[in-house]
Amino acid sequence: MKLGNPFRPRLLSALLISILLGGAPWTPAQAQERGELRIATSYKLMTLDPQYANLNENTSLLSHIYERLVYQDENLELKPGLATSWRPLSDTQWEFKLRDSVRFHDGSDFTADDIIYTIERIRDFVKSPSGGFRSYVSGIKSVSATDPLTVLIETNGTVPNLPLSFSSIFVMNRPSEGFETTEELNAGRPPVGTGPYRFESWSSGESLRLARNDDYWGGKPAWLKVTFRVIENPAARVAALSTGEVDVADAIPARDVASLQQRGARIANVSAARINFVQFDVSRETLPGVTGQSGEPIANPFKSPLVRRALAIATDRGILVDKILAGYGTAAAQVLPNGLPGTSAKLLPEAPNYDEAKALLSKAGYPDGFNIVLAGPAGRYPGDAESLQAIAQSWARIGVNAQPAASPFSVFNTKRAAGDYAIWYGGTSGEAVDIILHTLLASPNPGRGTGALNFGKYRNETFDTMLAKAESIQEGPERNQALALATELVMADQPIIPLYHFHHIVGYGPRIGSYVMHPRGWTTAMQTLPAME
Amino acid sequence: MGMISVALGRLSQAFLLLIAMSLIGFIGIHSVGNPVFNVVNIETASPEDIRQATIALGLDQPIWRQYLVFIDNVISGNFGVSYIYHQPAFELVMSKLPATLELASVAMLIAAPLGTGLGLLAGRRSGTLFDRIVLKASVSALSIPSFWLAMMLILVGAILTGWFPSGGRGATARFLGEDWSLLTANGQWHLILPALALAIPNIALIARLSRSGTIEVESLDYTRFCRAKGLSSQRILFRHTLPNISVPIVTIIGLQFGGMLAFAVVVESIFSWPGVGKLLIDSIQLLDRPVVMVTLTFISVAFVALNALVDLFYAVLDPRVRLSSQR
Repeated sequence: MKLGNPFRPRLLSALLISILLGGAPWTPAQAQERGELRIATSYKLMTLDPQYANLNENTSLLSHIYERLVYQDENLELKPGLATSWRPLSDTQWEFKLRDSVRFHDGSDFTADDIIYTIERIRDFVKSPSGGFRSYVSGIKSVSATDPLTVLIETNGTVPNLPLSFSSIFVMNRPSEGFETTEELNAGRPPVGTGPYRFESWSSGESLRLARNDDYWGGKPAWLKVTFRVIENPAARVAALSTGEVDVADAIPARDVASLQQRGARIANVSAARINFVQFDVSRETLPGVTGQSGEPIANPFKSPLVRRALAIATDRGILVDKILAGYGTAAAQVLPNGLPGTSAKLLPEAPNYDEAKALLSKAGYPDGFNIVLAGPAGRYPGDAESLQAIAQSWARIGVNAQPAASPFSVFNTKRAAGDYAIWYGGTSGEAVDIILHTLLASPNPGRGTGALNFGKYRNETFDTMLAKAESIQEGPERNQALALATELVMADQPIIPLYHFHHIVGYGPRIGSYVMHPRGWTTAMQTLPAME
Repeated sequence: MGMISVALGRLSQAFLLLIAMSLIGFIGIHSVGNPVFNVVNIETASPEDIRQATIALGLDQPIWRQYLVFIDNVISGNFGVSYIYHQPAFELVMSKLPATLELASVAMLIAAPLGTGLGLLAGRRSGTLFDRIVLKASVSALSIPSFWLAMMLILVGAILTGWFPSGGRGATARFLGEDWSLLTANGQWHLILPALALAIPNIALIARLSRSGTIEVESLDYTRFCRAKGLSSQRILFRHTLPNISVPIVTIIGLQFGGMLAFAVVVESIFSWPGVGKLLIDSIQLLDRPVVMVTLTFISVAFVALNALVDLFYAVLDPRVRLSSQR
């Protein structure tokens, strides 16, 4: 009750006056410390264990504290991180040279032994129900140190993209004894890495506070302190940026961009290294929700490449990108945005051609079209539920009567896995073209781990062979070329309809000079440069 | 003896309620979807990862066995570990409780006196301009969707004027081992808008209740006798009318307070106030069953306890209840 009864009425009347006067512009005294960066992020940090869950939610924030041997730049090219160089010694051996005089936040030296610990911890110790990062080290047979700054890795068979795997693995330091458990890390043992910022405090789902690591090997970081505030509601993030409570806000909805710019915020955006698409079930004889013009059950029409092609060229990507994503999307014709390594310059998004689509449908034996249920998640990806509506309208023009059915992501996944859908909207991401091709389009094969996302059970042996061959080539132009050719081959068969690569949109305020976007979608202080004062 | 049997009756009722809640909650969250798809990164996970995760979480078992395991765990004082945060679910929910508790308390401290006062005055002068304003305002305050109200408060209080922060909890200070915003000026500042957003509909609700109660009581014989005896109208209002209309008001305050503890979801998410309601809705979305179950259990316990408190309060406030229990 001591809580200021005298001033509350005054505040109320002040509020009323402000409504009457239309709001006098008055910004509160900027209470923040000089050199403090405040970021509102949609990513909530779930655990302080960097090897527990392979989700952007965690990795984006933990990348301030922990570092990787190799990192991917804005063009997804591999760059030296904690490793200065790497080379294959034979088909099954890799050598990584480590950076000299790097120190962990607790003062200990970074050595080859820490890499051994990191790999062992992921492979044998971390009890993550999700498997965590285990798939990245599954090809590793043994790790040893030839000297304190050289790591020798032996693999089971050839693993040409081992350096790429290391671009996802955070390096921890070996404690004096035993292993650090996830519980210990969450219970307050401060996380220790080599990264540009030191851990200060964390409150799950609320905030993460970091301080500059003055001993950082890459030079002094730009900000004295960094505070992340987890704000999952997009409107609240936009409000926090508008009022100057934060300097950077990520995952800005495209519809709020204009009003933010009016208020003086600046916007950075980049095509995400991800794709959203429509996927067909091409394996079953009959499909749920697929009926003929008069409602009678029909055989699976998506087995015919003509039907898939017809639906693909009857899809208006322009509307999706310009209207639904308000311009903050790139029309897609392959699995990653054009220009990234492994993409094909020949694959370009097509304008819709309804006449040709109708002709193809007739040729396939469906002159009058058919009825389908087009399923998809709602609220998972920018523009997901709205896209279902727009696509259904496009398809109506060629006689395919699609009924959009959007559901929450977890419901959608459960039903998709149960085979309740015939055709659906989906999305995926990956660090490289081959990873997406591997999971989305390669024939399902649990033994080889391919086709995990190939819920449509599409099988194309020629493509599988081409992809396997491309994957056996060393990182470089030759591998990229082989991947592009494989993509061209498989896309001609239209196992999916690529829709768009949505953009990551970040807004930033006057205290920020520039913000470098990364297609992987992380939000970090390292991408932020202070404005010159 | 009577008291003990009443208390025992209530306890067993509460126990049955908890069992029913846990069953409904368990089956409900089970039927929404498979949490494995939120635990693994569905965009990169292999079927083998999904299979292992299913076994690790015990989801390969039939649902009745999962429920028995859950009950068994609860009896041994263990609600399990959050699938998503990998922290003990009970501790996680308890760590969000102070935020919700202070928000709900402040909102109720605004709403209860203000609502009752407005209702009393309006009821006293029923038919006057003041009464009609209170009536109209309360109707609109009750029909405004809470997300819109919250957005408007942010728009006016934070964006247009810049007086209040648009969200978050601000600075906190530690007391009794928990973080409290109420203890710092910055934290109090952050509390005002969300508390108002929660309080406004409650002011309206309480004002309407106390207004209609006042009108009813003012027309009764004893009020007229009081007046005839020459008591001041203030004394009549506060010594006689207020206690007589207090039973429904206290009931609604108790219920609404419980509601705010549990379901201030909209206000908490719009103001990114890290409370229990927000945790509940996040956990439902992510199908984080242990956390959902702890929260539901907490809510049932809170409602049972609040109802008991409300019953106790009746006796304090209303002489008739006291008399009937003495008989």
